[in-house]
Amino acid sequence: MRNIFSITIICLSFLIVGVFLSLSNNLQHTAAELNRNLAVVFFLDRGLPDGERNALEQKIKASPFITGAVYISPEEALERFRKNFPELRDIVASLKANPFPPSFEATLRDQATRSGQIQEFLRRMAGEKGVEDIQFNRDWVDKMQSLSRMVRAIGFFLGGILVSASFFIISNVIRLNVLARKDEILILRLVGATNNFIRVPFLMEGTILGILGNLLSLLLIFFLIKLFPLYLGKSLGALQQIIAFRYLTTSQCLQLVAGGALIGFLGSLSSLSRFLKI
Amino acid sequence: MIELFHIWKQYQKAQWALQDITLQIKNGDFWFVTGPSGSGKTTLLKIIFRETLPTQGQIVIDGVNVLKIPDHRIYKLRRTMGIVFQDFRLLFHKKVFDNVAVALQVLGVPTKEIRRRVFNALRLVNIHHKMWEYPSRLSYGEQQRVAIARAVVNNPEIILADEPTGNLDPELGFEILSVFKEINKQGATVVIATHDRELIRHFGDKILFLQKGKLTGKDLQPSSTT
Repeated sequence: MRNIFSITIICLSFLIVGVFLSLSNNLQHTAAELNRNLAVVFFLDRGLPDGERNALEQKIKASPFITGAVYISPEEALERFRKNFPELRDIVASLKANPFPPSFEATLRDQATRSGQIQEFLRRMAGEKGVEDIQFNRDWVDKMQSLSRMVRAIGFFLGGILVSASFFIISNVIRLNVLARKDEILILRLVGATNNFIRVPFLMEGTILGILGNLLSLLLIFFLIKLFPLYLGKSLGALQQIIAFRYLTTSQCLQLVAGGALIGFLGSLSSLSRFLKI
Repeated sequence: MIELFHIWKQYQKAQWALQDITLQIKNGDFWFVTGPSGSGKTTLLKIIFRETLPTQGQIVIDGVNVLKIPDHRIYKLRRTMGIVFQDFRLLFHKKVFDNVAVALQVLGVPTKEIRRRVFNALRLVNIHHKMWEYPSRLSYGEQQRVAIARAVVNNPEIILADEPTGNLDPELGFEILSVFKEINKQGATVVIATHDRELIRHFGDKILFLQKGKLTGKDLQPSSTT
Protein backbone atom coordinates (compact mmCIF):
# COMPACT_ATOMS: atom_id res chain seq x y z
CA MET A 1 0.00 0.00 0.00
CA ARG A 2 2.84 2.32 0.96
CA ASN A 3 4.62 1.55 -2.28
CA ILE A 4 1.50 2.22 -4.34
CA PHE A 5 1.17 5.59 -2.63
CA SER A 6 4.81 6.44 -3.42
CA ILE A 7 4.46 5.41 -7.04
CA THR A 8 1.31 7.54 -7.36
CA ILE A 9 2.97 10.64 -5.96
CA ILE A 10 6.05 10.21 -8.16
CA CYS A 11 3.78 9.64 -11.14
CA LEU A 12 1.86 12.85 -10.47
CA SER A 13 5.06 14.83 -9.91
CA PHE A 14 6.64 13.78 -13.15
CA LEU A 15 3.30 14.01 -14.96
CA ILE A 16 3.28 17.75 -14.22
CA VAL A 17 6.82 18.08 -15.51
CA GLY A 18 6.02 15.95 -18.54
CA VAL A 19 2.83 17.86 -19.41
CA PHE A 20 4.61 21.19 -19.34
CA LEU A 21 7.51 19.75 -21.31
CA SER A 22 5.05 18.45 -23.87
CA LEU A 23 3.37 21.87 -24.12
CA SER A 24 6.75 23.51 -24.39
CA ASN A 25 7.78 21.05 -27.12
CA ASN A 26 4.74 22.06 -29.11
CA LEU A 27 5.47 25.75 -28.70
CA GLN A 28 9.07 25.16 -29.75
CA HIS A 29 7.86 23.25 -32.75
CA THR A 30 5.43 26.00 -33.70
CA ALA A 31 8.15 28.59 -33.27
CA ALA A 32 10.47 26.52 -35.46
CA GLU A 33 7.79 26.23 -38.13
CA LEU A 34 7.23 29.98 -38.06
CA ASN A 35 10.94 30.54 -38.22
CA ARG A 36 11.24 28.30 -41.28
CA ASN A 37 8.47 30.22 -43.02
CA LEU A 38 9.36 33.67 -41.95
CA ALA A 39 7.37 36.18 -43.83
CA VAL A 40 6.68 39.84 -43.93
CA VAL A 41 3.19 40.98 -44.82
CA PHE A 42 2.89 44.39 -46.44
CA PHE A 43 -0.71 45.54 -46.00
CA LEU A 44 -1.67 47.96 -48.76
CA ASP A 45 -4.10 50.85 -48.93
CA ARG A 46 -7.50 49.92 -50.35
CA GLY A 47 -8.11 51.08 -53.89
CA LEU A 48 -4.42 51.36 -54.71
CA PRO A 49 -4.03 51.73 -58.47
CA ASP A 50 -2.44 48.79 -60.26
CA GLY A 51 0.54 50.85 -61.34
CA GLU A 52 1.44 51.89 -57.82
CA ARG A 53 0.85 48.38 -56.63
CA ASN A 54 3.22 46.99 -59.25
CA ALA A 55 5.86 49.56 -58.33
CA LEU A 56 5.65 48.52 -54.69
CA GLU A 57 5.96 44.87 -55.72
CA GLN A 58 9.14 45.66 -57.66
CA LYS A 59 10.64 47.51 -54.69
CA ILE A 60 9.86 44.60 -52.37
CA LYS A 61 11.25 41.97 -54.73
CA ALA A 62 14.35 44.06 -55.37
CA SER A 63 15.35 43.86 -51.71
CA PRO A 64 18.27 41.46 -51.02
CA PHE A 65 16.38 40.19 -47.96
CA ILE A 66 13.35 39.01 -49.92
CA THR A 67 13.24 35.74 -51.90
CA GLY A 68 9.76 36.27 -53.32
CA ALA A 69 6.48 38.12 -52.89
CA VAL A 70 2.90 37.12 -53.62
CA TYR A 71 -0.07 39.46 -53.98
CA ILE A 72 -3.09 38.47 -51.85
CA SER A 73 -6.33 40.20 -52.81
CA PRO A 74 -9.00 41.03 -50.20
CA GLU A 75 -11.21 38.27 -51.58
CA GLU A 76 -8.41 35.73 -51.32
CA ALA A 77 -7.68 36.87 -47.75
CA LEU A 78 -11.35 36.46 -46.77
CA GLU A 79 -11.50 32.99 -48.29
CA ARG A 80 -8.36 32.00 -46.42
CA PHE A 81 -9.85 33.26 -43.14
CA ARG A 82 -12.99 31.18 -43.74
CA LYS A 83 -10.91 28.06 -44.24
CA ASN A 84 -8.65 28.61 -41.20
CA PHE A 85 -11.38 29.60 -38.77
CA PRO A 86 -14.50 27.68 -39.75
CA GLU A 87 -15.97 28.19 -36.29
CA LEU A 88 -16.19 31.92 -37.04
CA ARG A 89 -18.06 31.55 -40.35
CA ASP A 90 -21.23 33.03 -38.87
CA ILE A 91 -19.37 36.21 -38.00
CA VAL A 92 -17.86 36.32 -41.44
CA ALA A 93 -21.29 35.85 -43.07
CA SER A 94 -22.72 38.72 -41.09
CA LEU A 95 -20.09 41.19 -42.29
CA LYS A 96 -21.38 43.83 -44.67
CA ALA A 97 -17.97 44.59 -46.15
CA ASN A 98 -14.75 42.64 -46.56
CA PRO A 99 -12.47 43.78 -43.72
CA PHE A 100 -9.28 42.39 -45.23
CA PRO A 101 -6.99 44.78 -47.12
CA PRO A 102 -4.87 43.74 -50.08
CA SER A 103 -1.37 42.65 -49.17
CA PHE A 104 1.94 41.36 -50.36
CA GLU A 105 3.30 38.31 -48.52
CA ALA A 106 7.04 38.25 -48.87
CA THR A 107 9.31 35.36 -47.84
CA LEU A 108 12.66 36.14 -46.34
CA ARG A 109 16.13 34.78 -46.81
CA ASP A 110 17.37 32.89 -43.73
CA GLN A 111 20.20 35.35 -43.13
CA ALA A 112 17.74 38.20 -43.16
CA THR A 113 16.22 37.13 -39.87
CA ARG A 114 19.49 37.62 -38.12
CA SER A 115 20.37 40.83 -39.85
CA GLY A 116 19.61 44.11 -38.17
CA GLN A 117 19.37 45.70 -41.62
CA ILE A 118 16.00 44.06 -42.29
CA GLN A 119 14.48 46.39 -39.72
CA GLU A 120 15.91 49.38 -41.58
CA PHE A 121 14.40 48.06 -44.84
CA LEU A 122 11.01 47.56 -43.21
CA ARG A 123 11.10 51.04 -41.74
CA ARG A 124 11.73 52.49 -45.21
CA MET A 125 8.95 50.44 -46.74
CA ALA A 126 6.55 51.54 -44.00
CA GLY A 127 7.03 55.09 -45.23
CA GLU A 128 6.28 54.20 -48.88
CA LYS A 129 3.06 55.49 -50.42
CA GLY A 130 0.47 52.72 -50.57
CA VAL A 131 1.77 50.75 -47.59
CA GLU A 132 -0.73 50.86 -44.77
CA ASP A 133 1.00 48.51 -42.34
CA ILE A 134 3.77 45.90 -42.13
CA GLN A 135 3.62 42.71 -40.12
CA PHE A 136 6.85 40.82 -39.52
CA ASN A 137 6.20 37.43 -37.86
CA ARG A 138 9.69 37.36 -36.40
CA ASP A 139 7.97 38.95 -33.42
CA TRP A 140 5.69 35.96 -33.20
CA VAL A 141 8.65 33.63 -33.31
CA ASP A 142 10.31 35.50 -30.47
CA LYS A 143 7.07 35.51 -28.51
CA MET A 144 6.52 31.81 -29.13
CA GLN A 145 10.03 30.94 -28.04
CA SER A 146 9.70 33.13 -25.01
CA LEU A 147 6.37 31.48 -24.16
CA SER A 148 7.93 28.07 -24.63
CA ARG A 149 10.73 28.91 -22.23
CA MET A 150 8.24 30.26 -19.72
CA VAL A 151 6.04 27.17 -19.95
CA ARG A 152 9.06 24.96 -19.49
CA ALA A 153 10.20 27.03 -16.50
CA ILE A 154 6.75 26.84 -14.91
CA GLY A 155 6.70 23.12 -15.51
CA PHE A 156 10.07 22.64 -13.87
CA PHE A 157 9.14 24.93 -10.99
CA LEU A 158 5.87 23.14 -10.21
CA GLY A 159 7.37 19.80 -11.00
CA GLY A 160 10.34 20.61 -8.82
CA ILE A 161 8.08 21.26 -5.85
CA LEU A 162 6.28 17.98 -6.38
CA VAL A 163 9.48 16.08 -7.03
CA SER A 164 10.84 17.40 -3.72
CA ALA A 165 7.69 16.10 -2.07
CA SER A 166 8.29 12.74 -3.76
CA PHE A 167 11.79 12.65 -2.30
CA PHE A 168 10.43 13.00 1.23
CA ILE A 169 7.63 10.56 0.61
CA ILE A 170 10.01 7.90 -0.69
CA SER A 171 12.32 8.61 2.21
CA ASN A 172 9.47 8.01 4.64
CA VAL A 173 8.21 4.94 2.84
CA ILE A 174 11.68 3.41 3.00
CA ARG A 175 11.90 4.41 6.65
CA LEU A 176 8.64 2.58 7.33
CA ASN A 177 9.92 -0.42 5.40
CA VAL A 178 13.10 -0.32 7.46
CA LEU A 179 11.05 -0.21 10.66
CA ALA A 180 8.91 -3.07 9.45
CA ARG A 181 12.05 -5.12 8.83
CA LYS A 182 14.06 -4.02 11.83
CA ASP A 183 14.12 -7.53 13.30
CA GLU A 184 15.50 -8.91 10.09
CA ILE A 185 18.07 -6.11 9.92
CA LEU A 186 19.13 -6.81 13.48
CA ILE A 187 19.63 -10.50 12.71
CA LEU A 188 21.59 -9.63 9.60
CA ARG A 189 23.89 -7.39 11.63
CA LEU A 190 24.35 -10.04 14.27
CA VAL A 191 25.32 -12.74 11.79
CA GLY A 192 27.90 -10.45 10.18
CA ALA A 193 26.19 -8.75 7.25
CA THR A 194 28.02 -5.73 5.88
CA ASN A 195 26.27 -2.38 5.72
CA ASN A 196 25.99 -2.71 1.96
CA PHE A 197 24.36 -6.12 2.24
CA ILE A 198 21.66 -4.50 4.36
CA ARG A 199 21.50 -1.27 2.41
CA VAL A 200 21.36 -2.45 -1.21
CA PRO A 201 17.85 -4.00 -1.16
CA PHE A 202 16.39 -0.77 0.23
CA LEU A 203 18.27 1.36 -2.29
CA MET A 204 17.01 -0.84 -5.09
CA GLU A 205 13.50 -0.60 -3.72
CA GLY A 206 13.60 3.21 -3.75
CA THR A 207 15.10 3.33 -7.23
CA ILE A 208 12.49 0.95 -8.59
CA LEU A 209 9.70 3.01 -7.04
CA GLY A 210 11.09 6.07 -8.79
CA ILE A 211 11.34 4.31 -12.13
CA LEU A 212 7.86 2.77 -11.91
CA GLY A 213 6.28 6.10 -10.96
CA ASN A 214 7.99 7.70 -13.90
CA LEU A 215 7.02 5.04 -16.42
CA LEU A 216 3.43 5.42 -15.27
CA SER A 217 3.63 9.18 -15.80
CA LEU A 218 4.97 8.67 -19.33
CA LEU A 219 2.10 6.31 -20.06
CA LEU A 220 -0.40 8.89 -18.83
CA ILE A 221 1.24 11.60 -20.93
CA PHE A 222 0.98 9.32 -23.96
CA PHE A 223 -2.76 8.90 -23.38
CA LEU A 224 -3.18 12.61 -22.76
CA ILE A 225 -1.54 13.42 -26.09
CA LYS A 226 -3.76 10.89 -27.82
CA LEU A 227 -7.03 11.93 -26.20
CA PHE A 228 -6.65 15.70 -25.83
CA PRO A 229 -7.23 16.55 -29.52
CA LEU A 230 -10.26 14.25 -29.58
CA TYR A 231 -12.04 15.67 -26.58
CA LEU A 232 -10.78 19.18 -25.96
CA GLY A 233 -8.65 20.21 -28.90
CA LYS A 234 -11.51 21.23 -31.22
CA SER A 235 -13.10 23.52 -28.66
CA LEU A 236 -9.94 25.60 -28.60
CA GLY A 237 -10.33 26.54 -32.25
CA ALA A 238 -7.41 28.56 -33.52
CA LEU A 239 -5.56 28.14 -30.24
CA GLN A 240 -5.36 24.43 -30.91
CA GLN A 241 -2.00 24.90 -32.56
CA ILE A 242 -0.55 26.63 -29.55
CA ILE A 243 -2.23 24.76 -26.70
CA ALA A 244 -1.41 21.29 -27.85
CA PHE A 245 0.77 18.50 -26.66
CA ARG A 246 3.70 17.10 -28.52
CA TYR A 247 5.32 13.75 -27.75
CA LEU A 248 8.38 13.95 -25.57
CA THR A 249 11.62 13.14 -27.29
CA THR A 250 13.43 9.90 -26.44
CA SER A 251 16.07 11.96 -24.70
CA GLN A 252 13.46 13.72 -22.55
CA CYS A 253 11.81 10.42 -21.66
CA LEU A 254 15.12 8.90 -20.62
CA GLN A 255 15.98 11.98 -18.59
CA LEU A 256 12.65 11.83 -16.78
CA VAL A 257 13.07 8.13 -16.00
CA ALA A 258 16.63 8.76 -14.84
CA GLY A 259 15.33 11.62 -12.72
CA GLY A 260 12.76 9.35 -11.13
CA ALA A 261 15.35 6.70 -10.43
CA LEU A 262 17.65 9.30 -8.89
CA ILE A 263 14.92 10.69 -6.65
CA GLY A 264 14.06 7.18 -5.52
CA PHE A 265 17.69 6.32 -4.87
CA LEU A 266 18.42 9.53 -2.97
CA GLY A 267 15.23 9.23 -0.95
CA SER A 268 16.26 5.75 0.15
CA LEU A 269 19.82 6.78 0.86
CA SER A 270 18.65 9.67 2.98
CA SER A 271 16.33 7.43 4.94
CA LEU A 272 19.00 4.79 5.53
CA SER A 273 21.51 7.38 6.69
CA ARG A 274 19.10 8.95 9.12
CA PHE A 275 17.22 5.97 10.50
CA LEU A 276 19.50 3.02 9.98
CA LYS A 277 22.65 5.07 10.42
CA ILE A 278 24.40 3.13 7.67
CA MET B 1 41.40 -15.60 23.23
CA ILE B 2 38.73 -13.46 24.83
CA GLU B 3 40.07 -11.05 27.45
CA LEU B 4 37.93 -8.77 29.56
CA PHE B 5 39.64 -6.08 31.63
CA HIS B 6 37.72 -4.38 34.42
CA ILE B 7 34.40 -4.39 32.64
CA TRP B 8 31.63 -2.34 34.24
CA LYS B 9 28.17 -1.99 32.78
CA GLN B 10 25.44 0.29 34.00
CA TYR B 11 21.98 0.40 32.41
CA GLN B 12 20.37 2.73 34.93
CA LYS B 13 21.71 5.01 37.65
CA ALA B 14 22.96 3.15 40.68
CA GLN B 15 22.26 -0.18 38.99
CA TRP B 16 25.31 -2.03 37.80
CA ALA B 17 24.67 -5.00 35.56
CA LEU B 18 28.38 -5.90 35.65
CA GLN B 19 30.97 -4.80 38.15
CA ASP B 20 34.69 -5.01 37.54
CA ILE B 21 34.77 -8.20 35.50
CA THR B 22 38.23 -9.34 34.48
CA LEU B 23 38.67 -12.72 32.91
CA GLN B 24 40.43 -14.62 30.21
CA ILE B 25 38.85 -17.28 28.00
CA LYS B 26 41.46 -19.18 26.00
CA ASN B 27 40.92 -20.48 22.49
CA GLY B 28 39.19 -23.81 22.54
CA ASP B 29 37.85 -23.40 26.07
CA PHE B 30 34.36 -24.50 27.07
CA TRP B 31 32.91 -22.25 29.77
CA PHE B 32 29.63 -22.07 31.58
CA VAL B 33 28.54 -18.71 32.98
CA THR B 34 26.03 -19.19 35.71
CA GLY B 35 24.20 -17.27 38.38
CA PRO B 36 20.66 -16.31 39.36
CA SER B 37 18.42 -14.27 37.08
CA GLY B 38 19.69 -10.69 36.77
CA SER B 39 23.24 -11.60 37.69
CA GLY B 40 24.62 -10.26 34.42
CA LYS B 41 25.07 -13.42 32.33
CA THR B 42 23.29 -12.09 29.25
CA THR B 43 24.99 -8.69 29.58
CA LEU B 44 28.37 -10.37 29.64
CA LEU B 45 27.64 -12.20 26.40
CA LYS B 46 26.24 -9.05 24.79
CA ILE B 47 29.43 -7.19 25.57
CA ILE B 48 31.55 -9.94 24.05
CA PHE B 49 29.73 -9.77 20.70
CA ARG B 50 29.35 -6.01 21.05
CA GLU B 51 25.62 -5.72 20.99
CA THR B 52 26.14 -3.38 23.89
CA LEU B 53 29.14 -1.37 25.03
CA PRO B 54 30.55 -1.50 28.54
CA THR B 55 30.41 1.64 30.65
CA GLN B 56 34.04 1.09 31.51
CA GLY B 57 36.74 -1.39 30.72
CA GLN B 58 38.24 -3.05 27.71
CA ILE B 59 37.66 -6.22 25.79
CA VAL B 60 40.22 -7.81 23.53
CA ILE B 61 39.49 -10.76 21.25
CA ASP B 62 42.47 -12.39 19.55
CA GLY B 63 44.53 -9.27 20.07
CA VAL B 64 41.89 -6.88 18.69
CA ASN B 65 40.39 -4.24 20.96
CA VAL B 66 36.73 -4.82 20.28
CA LEU B 67 35.65 -1.42 21.54
CA LYS B 68 37.84 0.35 19.01
CA ILE B 69 36.35 -1.44 16.00
CA PRO B 70 34.38 1.11 13.93
CA ASP B 71 30.67 0.33 13.47
CA HIS B 72 31.01 -0.44 9.79
CA ARG B 73 33.67 -3.10 10.52
CA ILE B 74 31.86 -4.91 13.32
CA TYR B 75 30.61 -7.46 10.83
CA LYS B 76 34.10 -8.99 10.70
CA LEU B 77 33.98 -9.76 14.42
CA ARG B 78 30.46 -11.12 14.22
CA ARG B 79 31.36 -13.47 11.37
CA THR B 80 33.74 -15.30 13.67
CA MET B 81 30.94 -15.93 16.14
CA GLY B 82 27.81 -18.01 16.39
CA ILE B 83 25.26 -16.59 18.78
CA VAL B 84 22.26 -18.30 20.33
CA PHE B 85 19.91 -15.80 21.89
CA GLN B 86 17.65 -16.38 24.79
CA ASP B 87 14.72 -15.11 22.68
CA PHE B 88 15.88 -17.10 19.60
CA ARG B 89 15.47 -14.09 17.27
CA LEU B 90 14.10 -16.11 14.41
CA LEU B 91 12.43 -14.51 11.42
CA PHE B 92 8.88 -15.76 11.51
CA HIS B 93 8.04 -14.73 7.97
CA LYS B 94 10.86 -16.93 6.65
CA LYS B 95 11.08 -20.70 6.68
CA VAL B 96 13.43 -22.66 8.88
CA PHE B 97 15.81 -23.19 5.99
CA ASP B 98 16.02 -19.45 5.26
CA ASN B 99 16.48 -18.60 8.91
CA VAL B 100 19.60 -20.75 9.05
CA ALA B 101 20.79 -19.91 5.52
CA VAL B 102 21.01 -16.19 6.28
CA ALA B 103 24.21 -16.78 8.25
CA LEU B 104 25.82 -18.13 5.09
CA GLN B 105 24.21 -15.73 2.63
CA VAL B 106 25.91 -12.76 4.27
CA LEU B 107 29.23 -14.53 3.65
CA GLY B 108 28.48 -14.91 -0.03
CA VAL B 109 28.49 -18.72 0.10
CA PRO B 110 27.19 -20.28 -3.16
CA THR B 111 23.60 -21.50 -3.12
CA LYS B 112 24.44 -25.18 -3.55
CA GLU B 113 26.88 -25.05 -0.67
CA ILE B 114 24.32 -23.21 1.46
CA ARG B 115 21.79 -26.00 0.90
CA ARG B 116 24.26 -28.65 1.95
CA ARG B 117 25.52 -26.87 5.04
CA VAL B 118 22.10 -25.77 6.23
CA PHE B 119 20.81 -29.33 5.95
CA ASN B 120 23.79 -30.63 7.91
CA ALA B 121 23.40 -28.02 10.63
CA LEU B 122 19.70 -28.80 11.00
CA ARG B 123 20.44 -32.51 11.09
CA LEU B 124 22.99 -31.91 13.83
CA VAL B 125 20.22 -30.59 16.06
CA ASN B 126 17.69 -33.09 14.72
CA ILE B 127 15.28 -30.61 13.14
CA HIS B 128 16.10 -31.20 9.47
CA HIS B 129 12.69 -32.82 8.87
CA LYS B 130 11.07 -29.44 9.48
CA MET B 131 13.34 -27.52 7.13
CA TRP B 132 10.50 -26.07 5.06
CA GLU B 133 8.22 -25.13 7.92
CA TYR B 134 7.69 -21.66 9.29
CA PRO B 135 8.95 -21.12 12.85
CA SER B 136 5.45 -20.30 14.04
CA ARG B 137 4.52 -23.91 13.41
CA LEU B 138 7.32 -25.22 15.60
CA SER B 139 7.36 -25.78 19.35
CA TYR B 140 9.55 -23.60 21.54
CA GLY B 141 12.11 -26.34 21.76
CA GLU B 142 12.17 -26.78 18.01
CA GLN B 143 12.59 -23.07 17.48
CA GLN B 144 15.51 -23.12 19.86
CA ARG B 145 17.15 -25.87 17.85
CA VAL B 146 16.76 -23.80 14.70
CA ALA B 147 18.48 -20.90 16.49
CA ILE B 148 21.32 -23.24 17.46
CA ALA B 149 21.62 -24.52 13.89
CA ARG B 150 21.98 -20.92 12.67
CA ALA B 151 24.70 -20.30 15.25
CA VAL B 152 26.80 -23.30 14.20
CA VAL B 153 26.21 -23.41 10.43
CA ASN B 154 29.11 -21.10 9.56
CA ASN B 155 31.65 -23.08 11.70
CA PRO B 156 32.36 -20.16 14.00
CA GLU B 157 35.49 -19.77 16.10
CA ILE B 158 33.46 -18.63 19.09
CA ILE B 159 29.99 -19.77 20.14
CA LEU B 160 28.04 -17.71 22.65
CA ALA B 161 24.82 -19.27 23.83
CA ASP B 162 22.34 -17.69 26.20
CA GLU B 163 20.20 -20.37 27.83
CA PRO B 164 20.37 -22.69 24.80
CA THR B 165 18.56 -25.49 26.56
CA GLY B 166 16.08 -23.35 28.44
CA ASN B 167 13.00 -24.72 26.69
CA LEU B 168 14.20 -28.20 25.98
CA ASP B 169 13.46 -31.37 27.88
CA PRO B 170 16.49 -32.74 29.77
CA GLU B 171 17.20 -35.41 27.19
CA LEU B 172 17.22 -32.96 24.33
CA GLY B 173 19.15 -30.47 26.44
CA PHE B 174 21.88 -33.04 26.92
CA GLU B 175 21.83 -33.77 23.22
CA ILE B 176 22.31 -30.10 22.39
CA LEU B 177 25.16 -29.76 24.86
CA SER B 178 26.78 -32.76 23.25
CA VAL B 179 26.58 -30.90 19.95
CA PHE B 180 28.33 -27.92 21.52
CA LYS B 181 30.93 -30.23 23.01
CA GLU B 182 31.54 -31.78 19.63
CA ILE B 183 31.98 -28.35 18.05
CA ASN B 184 34.28 -27.45 20.90
CA LYS B 185 36.41 -30.50 20.20
CA GLN B 186 36.86 -29.18 16.67
CA GLY B 187 38.43 -26.07 18.12
CA ALA B 188 35.65 -23.57 18.72
CA THR B 189 35.56 -21.62 21.97
CA VAL B 190 32.18 -22.09 23.64
CA VAL B 191 30.64 -19.87 26.31
CA ILE B 192 27.22 -20.87 27.60
CA ALA B 193 25.13 -18.79 29.96
CA THR B 194 22.79 -21.02 31.92
CA HIS B 195 21.37 -21.64 35.33
CA ASP B 196 20.70 -25.30 34.60
CA ARG B 197 22.70 -26.95 37.38
CA GLU B 198 22.19 -30.43 36.06
CA LEU B 199 23.83 -29.53 32.79
CA ILE B 200 26.68 -27.78 34.55
CA ARG B 201 27.17 -30.73 36.83
CA HIS B 202 27.23 -33.09 33.90
CA PHE B 203 29.19 -31.07 31.35
CA GLY B 204 30.93 -28.28 33.15
CA ASP B 205 34.70 -28.13 33.34
CA LYS B 206 35.08 -24.37 33.52
CA ILE B 207 32.43 -22.34 35.31
CA LEU B 208 32.10 -18.63 36.03
CA PHE B 209 29.80 -17.62 38.84
CA LEU B 210 28.10 -14.25 38.66
CA GLN B 211 26.15 -12.64 41.45
CA LYS B 212 24.63 -9.16 41.06
CA GLY B 213 27.07 -8.36 38.29
CA LYS B 214 30.15 -9.49 40.17
CA LEU B 215 32.36 -12.44 39.44
CA THR B 216 32.11 -14.43 42.64
CA GLY B 217 34.05 -17.49 41.56
CA LYS B 218 35.57 -19.66 38.92
CA ASP B 219 35.47 -23.38 39.02
CA LEU B 220 37.67 -25.64 37.04
CA GLN B 221 36.55 -29.20 37.43
CA PRO B 222 37.02 -32.31 35.42
CA SER B 223 34.08 -32.92 33.15
CA SER B 224 31.92 -35.80 34.30
CA THR B 225 30.88 -36.62 30.73
CA THR B 226 32.66 -38.03 27.72
